[in-house]
Amino acid sequence: MDHRTDALNPAAIRIRHLSVSFANRPVLRDLSLDIPAGGLTFLLGRSGSGKTTLLRAINRLNECLPGCATCGQIELQLGATRLDAYAPSTPVEELRRRAGMVFQSPNVLPLSIARNLSLPLAVTLGLGAAECEARTEQALREVHLWNEVKNRLGAPAATLSGGQQQRLCLARTLALRPDILLLDEPTASLDFKAARQIEELLAELKLRYTLLVVSHSLSQAHRLADQVFVLHDGQRIEALPESTFRDKEALMSALDELV
Amino acid sequence: MSKPVPPEKLAQAGAWLAALGVPAILLALLGFLLWRGVPGLSLALFFADTPPLAALRGAPVFDGLWPACLGTLALVALATAIAVPLGVASGIYLAEYATGRAKALLAFAIDLLAGIPSILMGLFGFALILFLRRTVAPDANTGLLLSALCLAVLVLPYVIGTTRLALENLPLQLRLTGASLGLSPGRTVRHLLLPAALPGIFSGVMLAVGRAAEDTAVILMTGVVANAGAPASLTGKYEALPFHIYYLAAEHQSPAELTQAFAAALVLLALTGLMFLAARVLQTRLERQWTTEPTP
Repeated sequence: MDHRTDALNPAAIRIRHLSVSFANRPVLRDLSLDIPAGGLTFLLGRSGSGKTTLLRAINRLNECLPGCATCGQIELQLGATRLDAYAPSTPVEELRRRAGMVFQSPNVLPLSIARNLSLPLAVTLGLGAAECEARTEQALREVHLWNEVKNRLGAPAATLSGGQQQRLCLARTLALRPDILLLDEPTASLDFKAARQIEELLAELKLRYTLLVVSHSLSQAHRLADQVFVLHDGQRIEALPESTFRDKEALMSALDELV
Repeated sequence: MSKPVPPEKLAQAGAWLAALGVPAILLALLGFLLWRGVPGLSLALFFADTPPLAALRGAPVFDGLWPACLGTLALVALATAIAVPLGVASGIYLAEYATGRAKALLAFAIDLLAGIPSILMGLFGFALILFLRRTVAPDANTGLLLSALCLAVLVLPYVIGTTRLALENLPLQLRLTGASLGLSPGRTVRHLLLPAALPGIFSGVMLAVGRAAEDTAVILMTGVVANAGAPASLTGKYEALPFHIYYLAAEHQSPAELTQAFAAALVLLALTGLMFLAARVLQTRLERQWTTEPTP
């Protein structure tokens, strides 16, 4: 089943006939869907249904894994430009920077807190020290981490708690000024309180960015989603009507039926 | 009747003994060297009849260790200056870029190179000079640079192997993180993977330094002599500590000369230790620069 937006309101991410396989084993088969611009779209599905692969197909991160083959088309609306992700002329580094990704477990670099943000800024954008510093502070404020770390920016990022590390990773992605955020189960490895903080952040961020979140958490989808898709075995994608995911009971029974 | 000792306990005891064996051997070696070498340590051992300050300023030293110390330092510095950039670059290529048959072939060539005995490397250097003399450079002769080149080839496999292993053992997540932040593969290697692999790479550099400092067979064939004085040029003859030790031990005329050989061995050990320390300091500084200071 296709989920397509109309021509007047182009999708932020437009996926057509996407198939991905690893070492000739198909993971995604002929998927088509549109992720609308702005707001928070949840992608639900069982473990192994291909949610993460779908997410990584959007920023072409699957290519960094051995034996990956992708076909189909993905178009992204990045600012004023429309980019065909898999066109040969597409600058893949820019695509990944503007469709920023946050992973399931916090993947801070083995560097200091400040350098986790400034290194990608300096290396990918060639920014000077002052600009890096300004963007670092801005991004850390955006994820409400600034007050907690401003006095120890030189400390190793690994000394932060899990929730703080995940917010640092989010800040690192935001500092690069993305248009789209891809989040792969961003709260899965966190305790309840830290997960709640991230959720509150997502609710704020969805006002400014297009967010696509892969998640296992029904209650999260229920609370935060503007749109919910369910992926089945990598080959069928179903949109849940708002009346379903706004109602917890209905969401539960719909998923029991679908997954 | 007593119960038989379970095999697991026996294996555990064996493992303990083996683990204790290594420091025991090291201590025995060091103790013996100290016992025989310390009585020979004196300023005269280094500078003989030349006043030390004058020798440090460049006055010639006869019958002392000083020129051999300088020779060994120059040799190791030159050999590592050649081998480390080449080896690290090859290791990066093998770990990050080579695929399929090219990778297998290159890895095989490096394994082969690692298996070549050092005397063969010396002979190769010697043959190279003979070839050069007969063809393009009739004046070519054995000397410091030739020795350093041959030593560099000898230690190259260590540097390549440890660099490759250090890079390949880094978690996949680090590569994915680099890519997801918009770093190109080359920049991911330069700014994330190489710095993270630094401890592994430096262990290879230390192996190379130690091997280059102690090898005698290569330099025997390629330019070391007993009384050349301090190294004066890249193509000139030179003295080196391992050869000095070998020469004294093999040809000593008196017990005092043998004690000198032991003292020289102690000096070589201390010099290698110093070079390890320098490498360690450099590694720490590079790591600190990577983890905290902004990219220029």
